[in-house]
Amino acid sequence: MNETVIKTSDLRKVYRGRAAVEHLNLNIGRGEIYGFLGPNGAGKTTTIRMLLGLIKPTSGNIEVFGRELRSHKLDILRKVGSLVESPSYYGHLTAVENLEAIRRIIGVPKGRIAEVLDIVSLTGEEKRPVKGFSLGMKQRLGIAAALLGGPELLILDEPTNGLDPSGIQEIRSLIKRLPAEQGITVLVSSHLLSEVEQMADTVGIIRQGQMVYQDSIAHLQQQAAGDLRLALSEPEAALDLAKRRGCGGELREGRLILPRMNDARVALLVKELVENGHAVYRVEEHRQSLEEFFLQVVEGGAS
Amino acid sequence: MRTFMRILSAEQIKMSRSYIWVLLLVSPAISVVIGALADVTEGTTGGITWQILLGVMAMAHSMLFLPVLSGIFAALICRSEHSDGGWKQLLALPVTRGTVYLAKFAMIMLLLAAVQLLFLGALLGVGLFRGAEGAVPWGKLAASLFGGWFACLPLAALQLAVSQRWTSFGAPLALNVSLTIPNMLVANSADYGPYYPWLQPMLAMSPMSYYGDETFGAFNLPLASLMIVVTGSLVLFLAAGFISFRRKAV
Repeated sequence: MNETVIKTSDLRKVYRGRAAVEHLNLNIGRGEIYGFLGPNGAGKTTTIRMLLGLIKPTSGNIEVFGRELRSHKLDILRKVGSLVESPSYYGHLTAVENLEAIRRIIGVPKGRIAEVLDIVSLTGEEKRPVKGFSLGMKQRLGIAAALLGGPELLILDEPTNGLDPSGIQEIRSLIKRLPAEQGITVLVSSHLLSEVEQMADTVGIIRQGQMVYQDSIAHLQQQAAGDLRLALSEPEAALDLAKRRGCGGELREGRLILPRMNDARVALLVKELVENGHAVYRVEEHRQSLEEFFLQVVEGGAS
Repeated sequence: MRTFMRILSAEQIKMSRSYIWVLLLVSPAISVVIGALADVTEGTTGGITWQILLGVMAMAHSMLFLPVLSGIFAALICRSEHSDGGWKQLLALPVTRGTVYLAKFAMIMLLLAAVQLLFLGALLGVGLFRGAEGAVPWGKLAASLFGGWFACLPLAALQLAVSQRWTSFGAPLALNVSLTIPNMLVANSADYGPYYPWLQPMLAMSPMSYYGDETFGAFNLPLASLMIVVTGSLVLFLAAGFISFRRKAV
C-alpha cells in the first residue's frame, strides 16, 4: 500500500576529497510530504541535484518510482517536477514565454500554462518580462514550471526562500494541497524547522551530509514533547509505585523521569508518593521545544 | 529526434526578444556597403562580374564576421542558461544531455545559415544594382555559401564547447576574436593557412581566381583538402564539447 517513491541507498557525493553527502538513505512514500531539513550547507541541494540526475553520485544508488535513476532517467524525469535552489528563468522573456519554452520540450497541452499560472496566482502578471519580477514571483513561476508537466513527484528546494510572510503562507498551503488533490508526492527542503513542521508528514534531518533523523513529524513531536522529573528520597521504590499506577517512567541520574501527564494525575501521584513516605524534593516539568530538539539533533547530540 | 525538434523549438522561444536577430543583419549590411562602393573594374575592360563581386563582398564576411558570429551565437545560446539557472531547469526535464547539446549546436548552425542566406540576398541585390555581367552563377554562389557555412561547423563546435563550460560571457568571445584576428596573417601563408580552422570559411568562400595568381598564399587549395581540415577539427571540437557537457555538474 505505502509504495516507495524515492529510495536512496548509501548515497555518497564527494567534492574535492570532502564528502558533501554520505551514507544517505532516503525513504519517501507515495502521497507523502517529506520535509528535508538541515542547516545551510548540510547537503540538501547536493542530494536533490543527485535525485534529478544533475550531478552524478560518487557511489550509492537512487531509485525513483521503484526504478533505478541511472538506467531510467528520462522515464523518471517525465514524472518529476523540480525547483532547485534559486528559481531558474529567462529574464528577457515573459512568464508565459518562460513556461512555453518548457512546455515545448515536455509537450503538454498549451492550456496547461494558464492552469499553472493560476495555481501559483501569477495570473495578470504573465505578460511582463520576468527580470522585473520580485523574488517571490520568480519563485512562484519556478513552482509553476515544476507543476507544468503534471508531475507525480514534486521536488522543491527551499521553495519559500526569500518570500514574504504572505507568500510563504501561500506556497505552504499550495504544497499541502497537492498530495490531497492530485496524489502528488512532495519532497520539500528547508532549513527552517517551523516550516517543515507545518507542511510535512515525514521529516528527514540531514547534518554534514548524513541523515541523522528520519521519521514522522508526529513522532518527532512526541520525542520532543518533554517529561516530568521528580527528585525524591527513594527513587527506586518511587518508580515501582509509579509503574503500579500505570505511569511508566524510568530512572535517570537518580531522578524519576515520567512521561507527560495531566495536572490531576501529577497531583494524585505526588500525594501517593508523600503518603508512602517518600520525601519529594522537586517536581519539574522539562519541556524541550521542537526547535531545541532539532538543534540537538543537528549539533550531533541526538541519540 | 522528436525531443531534438522540441528543444530546438524551445530554443527559438528563448531567442525571441533578444538582439540575436539584429546580429544576423550586420555582416550582410556591411557587405552591401563594401559591394556597392568597391572599385573593382580597374584594369579590366569590361564591367563587374559576379565572381569579382563575390570575392569582394565575401572577404570581410568570411574572414572576420563568420568566425566571430559563430562565437557570438554560441555564447548567446549559453548565456541565457548560465545567467539564471537555466541549465538545471533544462537538464532536469526529460531530455538527454546529448540531445540538448546537439540542439544547441544545430541552433548556432541555423543562425549561421540564415546569415549566409541574407548575405546571398545582399550579393544578388548589389549585383543587380550594379549590373553584373552575365547570368547569376547559381552553382558557384551556392558552393561558396555552403562551403563558408560548412567551414563554420568546427568553429561553432569549439565555441559551444567553451561557452557551455565558462559561465562568463566575455571569455569565450575573447578567445574567439583572438583566434580570428590571426586570419589576416595566416591567409598569406601557404604553410599554415590550409590547417588553420578559423581561416577555412574564407578559403571555402572565396572564388579562387579572385587573386588572378592561383598560387597566392593558402588560396590554391582544392576543396577536398579544406573539407578534411574542417571535418577533422569538427569531430575533435564537437566530441570534446559533448563529453565535457555530459560530465558537467549542474
